[in-house]
Amino acid sequence: MPLVWPLLLSAALFGIGVYGVLARRNAVLALMGVELMLNAANVNLVAFDVWFRDVLVTGQVFTLFIIALAAAEIGLGLAIVLRLFRTYGHVDVDRLGGEPASVPSREEAER
Amino acid sequence: MIGLVLVVGLPLLAALAGLAFLVVPDRVRAAQVAVGGAAVTWVVTVNVAVPRLGDADPVGGSWGHAWGNLTAPALSFALRADSMSAVLLLLAATVALLVQIYSVAYLAEDPRYPSYAAIVSLFSASMAAVVVADDLFVLLIGWEMMGVCSYLLIGHYWERSDARDGAAKAFLMTRTADIGLLIAIIVLGQAVDSYRISDVLDAVAAGELSSATITVTALLILLAAVGKSAQVPFHTWLPDAMPGPAPISALIHSATMVAAGVYLVARMQPLFAESEAATIVLGLIAVVTMLIAAAFALAQDDLKRVLAWSTVSQLAYMFAALAAGSVVAAIGHLLAHGAFKALLFLAAGAVAHSVGSTAFADMGGLRRPMPWTFWTATLGLAALSGLVPLSGFFTKDAVVGAAYDAAHGEAGPAPSWLGWLIVVAAFVTAALTAAYATRAWRLVFAGERRGTAEAHEAPDLMRWPMVALAVPTVLMGVAVVEPGWLAGSEAEPVHAWVVVLSTVILAVVVGLTWVLGNTGDPATRLGPLRPVLAREFYIDDAYDRIAVRPTFRAVGVVLRSDRDVVDAYVRGASYSAMTASRLLRWAQNHNVQTYVTVAVVGVVVAAVLAGVSAG
Amino acid sequence: MSTVEVLFLLLSFLAIGSGILVVTTDHLVHAALWLVVTLGSLAGCFLLMTAEFVAWVQVLIYVGAVVVLLLFALMLTRAPTGPDSATSTRNRPVAIFAGVVTTAVLGVVLVDGFRGERIDVEGEPAGAAQPVGDAIFRHWVLGFEVVSVVLLTALIGAIVLSRRDQPRGEVAERPPEGSG
Repeated sequence: MPLVWPLLLSAALFGIGVYGVLARRNAVLALMGVELMLNAANVNLVAFDVWFRDVLVTGQVFTLFIIALAAAEIGLGLAIVLRLFRTYGHVDVDRLGGEPASVPSREEAER
Repeated sequence: MIGLVLVVGLPLLAALAGLAFLVVPDRVRAAQVAVGGAAVTWVVTVNVAVPRLGDADPVGGSWGHAWGNLTAPALSFALRADSMSAVLLLLAATVALLVQIYSVAYLAEDPRYPSYAAIVSLFSASMAAVVVADDLFVLLIGWEMMGVCSYLLIGHYWERSDARDGAAKAFLMTRTADIGLLIAIIVLGQAVDSYRISDVLDAVAAGELSSATITVTALLILLAAVGKSAQVPFHTWLPDAMPGPAPISALIHSATMVAAGVYLVARMQPLFAESEAATIVLGLIAVVTMLIAAAFALAQDDLKRVLAWSTVSQLAYMFAALAAGSVVAAIGHLLAHGAFKALLFLAAGAVAHSVGSTAFADMGGLRRPMPWTFWTATLGLAALSGLVPLSGFFTKDAVVGAAYDAAHGEAGPAPSWLGWLIVVAAFVTAALTAAYATRAWRLVFAGERRGTAEAHEAPDLMRWPMVALAVPTVLMGVAVVEPGWLAGSEAEPVHAWVVVLSTVILAVVVGLTWVLGNTGDPATRLGPLRPVLAREFYIDDAYDRIAVRPTFRAVGVVLRSDRDVVDAYVRGASYSAMTASRLLRWAQNHNVQTYVTVAVVGVVVAAVLAGVSAG
Repeated sequence: MSTVEVLFLLLSFLAIGSGILVVTTDHLVHAALWLVVTLGSLAGCFLLMTAEFVAWVQVLIYVGAVVVLLLFALMLTRAPTGPDSATSTRNRPVAIFAGVVTTAVLGVVLVDGFRGERIDVEGEPAGAAQPVGDAIFRHWVLGFEVVSVVLLTALIGAIVLSRRDQPRGEVAERPPEGSG
């Protein structure tokens, strides 16, 4: 198949991911945009590797690394989002950084 | 010469010293400086002036010779005193001293007394400068300084809006008229190549000036004199200057400043003698003014306004005498009027001090509680009406006599019809004067006590100046009949028919007014004419529409253009600064999405630029 | 056009379409589900490009773990579930601009550089398990180890970050809660 097709696919997905990060109100949805961008990079890498028939299979190995790192990153990122939720009571990116709300912890709720 | 400098300089020093008491408020010291300065000035003035009375030679001198160049003659500080200056100096210094003494008591509770006293001293210096000036610019400086002092003093009670308005009106009207004086000085300076009054008069006598120059200059000087002395059409400021303290009205608006206009025309009389046109204008203005001012005085409700219109009318008498060509008659009436009108204003001040206002509605029946005021004011009103043998009679008789002579073509440049006109107008005005004087006398001193304030006699310091002024009120007539009291005066014969006619008119009018006064205010008999007279023929309203409102509209345009055009730049600068800051604030709005947006867009733009520039 | 190419086109349109839906849908949970579709169709694309191992790893980890983690996060942050729960901010116009320009720039550069090149999908699969595994454990083993350490660090970090705050002095005195 023409090399250009997967490349264009990756460009499109990347742009869609950029839009998602910049325009979504919920922090978790912004992270989904980041995932789309990472996937776009993956498609790009795999396409070039298959086209090039690299001996070291560089592109696909990098893709596997990216997948692993994306998993690590989403884990940490969502932990941070959780922390934000506990401090502010919401994860609205427009309001984050303003007044911290008082979200009762489980002990206080049970008291 | 030294004496002349002292006469001008001593009150000036007193004024400057008085300024010190603005910083360190000390009433007693300020009063001492003011009254002491006036007293010392009076002594010096007597020493300087008395030798100059009569036919004595004038003395003078000059300092400095500055700022002359090829196109303009030089200025110099030149002073000169002849007999006319001498009598005026005596009048001014005496009235100033009496007013300073009177003011100590009149303004006893006024916290602004120190500044008032200093400005009165400054005014005395300016009047002296005008009277002894030999250089036209020295005269102009004194003239303008008098205007400034008048403004400051009329506005002494600046909390009152009528005082503020009256001060501004006086200043603006006289300043507008003073343009005439300035232009006349420049024209004369160019024509004679000197600014010295003595040089100018010599040039006129030698016939060196063209008749056009003489006429134009005379008319311009007349303009300034008309403004300063409140004649038609500049007559409306004097009654509105009455919100000032009564001693100021006595000093400035009866005896000295308004008389400066008469002095100016008298000093420049040779110019008028050569110009029939200027003399006719002068005469007509005088005739109109004396009649309408006396009529206005009849309809007023306020004692000081009656006296103000009376002043305007009597000044017109002096101008009429000048139009008829007789400086002696004019200066004589100026002296007598200075004495009795100052006395009347001081009496009005005493009444105001006693009952708390100057409206007739608050007065009445003050004969018993205020005997001294009553007797001195009666003498003053009688002199005003021209009762034999008080001073007013003799001087008014001199004016009529001069007009009669002019009517027979015997003297001066006035055409005979003007002379007859002045004679008739003088008699009519005398009748009106007697009427309003009687009305005022009756409303203030006779009848029932109206108003609620407790009436008391004036304190000593106010009483003695009034008594002192009563003396010349009575005796001045004898002095001015004496031949040779002024340079160039012959024995003025007292025309018998004038005596008879004026006494008859006086008796008739006084009796009529008294009888009418038995049934209330005589002015009500004027009927529908009264409101028109009380509003002074609505002339002021006309001035308001012609001059004042367009000025305010122009002011509005200027203000609006300053606000909308000039200030728009200022506001625009602040607006753009705030907008820029609002945009820059985004860099720190703690919104992660904003930061990421900026980063991404920046990278994208950089990539595009890199691609475009490389490709 | 061969079968592979047709299928690839279909899958890529599916991926793009569901990607757009991920970032524009109004329902929060629907976004996560559309993400599943996107990631799944990308796995299909990998398969068609003969990168089999990557495809299956994609399915396992992305679809299996990452999306589940996202759904858990939505639950733990008490995300609303109705329509209008996933709105966009005021940044939208700028975001559209950024996205479109990014795509355009990348697309232009890539097409300009690689016009006319073809991937050979007929021959040996380029991403079979054995050559990929060989390459990892022979040539890329250092990176592999580092990635493991990163995963461990991320694990610890996530645990620490998501722990509830306990006041220090009270740990010994408070009786343990429930079953823990």
